[in-house]
Amino acid sequence: MLNFIGIIIRFFSIMLAGVFSGFLGSLTGLGGGTILVPVLTLFYGIPIIFATGASLISTIATSDGSASAYTKEKIANVNLSISLEMATTGGAIVGSFVAIYMYAHSLSWIVYVIFGSVLLFSLYPAVKKLHSEIPKKTKPDWSTRFFKLSGSYFDERLNQKINYEGSRWYLGETIMFFAGFFSGLLGIGSGALKVLGMDWALNLPMKVTTTTSNFMIGITAATSSTIYWYAGFIQPMIAAATAIGVLIGAYYGSKVLVRISNENIRLIFFSVLIFLGLDMIFSGLDKINLVFVDTVFQFSFAAAIAVITILLLFFHEKFMPIGGKVSEKL
Amino acid sequence: MKNFDDTMVVSHFLRGGSILSVLFIVSGIILLFVKREGDGFTLQQIASYSYSLAHGIDSKDIPTNSIIQGVLKLDGIYFIALGLWLLIFTSISVVVVRLVWFAANKDKKFVIITLVVLFNLFFAMLIVPSLL
Repeated sequence: MLNFIGIIIRFFSIMLAGVFSGFLGSLTGLGGGTILVPVLTLFYGIPIIFATGASLISTIATSDGSASAYTKEKIANVNLSISLEMATTGGAIVGSFVAIYMYAHSLSWIVYVIFGSVLLFSLYPAVKKLHSEIPKKTKPDWSTRFFKLSGSYFDERLNQKINYEGSRWYLGETIMFFAGFFSGLLGIGSGALKVLGMDWALNLPMKVTTTTSNFMIGITAATSSTIYWYAGFIQPMIAAATAIGVLIGAYYGSKVLVRISNENIRLIFFSVLIFLGLDMIFSGLDKINLVFVDTVFQFSFAAAIAVITILLLFFHEKFMPIGGKVSEKL
Repeated sequence: MKNFDDTMVVSHFLRGGSILSVLFIVSGIILLFVKREGDGFTLQQIASYSYSLAHGIDSKDIPTNSIIQGVLKLDGIYFIALGLWLLIFTSISVVVVRLVWFAANKDKKFVIITLVVLFNLFFAMLIVPSLL
């Protein structure tokens, strides 16, 4: 049993994890939760049931805190977010029920493995478009006008007004349902899937996808977290520490985001995702005794793979840039 | 309504809601550390996060209809609970602001879309508890 000082130290150390997760979550558009859940479970030994509950609350904090800055900058497309939230909130309800079922039937290892897989899976489409600050123009379709998918924003870094026209809303909506589902199941904002849905399916600029995603994350997470509240997955002390920490981190993250290169965002995105994703999968398999090496080796292996992948990506970009024209402009 | 900048209203709602909820959460934590107890649990129990039959406290133990009473009794747990719910409602308020905006602009299509989102939110909040 911890003494009074020990409890205070524990509280502030969890809050620090929140600051780190909030900062990175805001920069990448993932939401703090995607980073917070692995950090709390892998480094603090907090049961995943409470880590996901705290993560959802922190995810709302990230979204509320940073979206207020983004809407001011007028980069986030609020109309677009509302139409996609129909699918994310529906998916979140289904996902939350599946989570409750899994925890009630001692299937938490599946949550770990799915968590890790979702993180790693999020990488592939993003890597393919590594240099696309502004996406190639595609032909608008019926959904462009019907759901108001077009817009413009001023890019501080490029010092120019960017006009864009999204398309294929139906494809984006389908991906958003799964984004909502994983939000409910894993206790995250599913920012990665939302970013990818808007980036790949709707073909929107990266800055619009990350900021709009941040905006939507809060509403998706609000749906899941009310269900988590009634299911008893939210531990007030952990949720309080992480919510404050994530808010602080997200605040500074949003200050940095509007001035940062998209390539930097994506490189941070990749390295963290690879490491945490692999480690979550190992932890899940470890729970059913399918991993035959110790935790230190699992950590080292995941870190080594993350470093090698980032180095490969870095040299691949340097010597074989994709989308050269955009890079020259930068 | 043309001069009404809805994105600024949304921005103010988000900022105001976040600040208010953090104030309640921080006050709750201070109260817990000062009183070293909350809602009948000791600080050690509240700080425990082992999820077992003997675990301390989780959201199931905090009835939402007692939050105001708990806050009036200066109970740290209920201050935190109110802060957490304020965060949730801040997100929801954005949808409500959009609904008002679309209705004021007679944008029927987006009014319906926003109502679907609100239905999902209130389904999770009001109907799900009876299913658990």
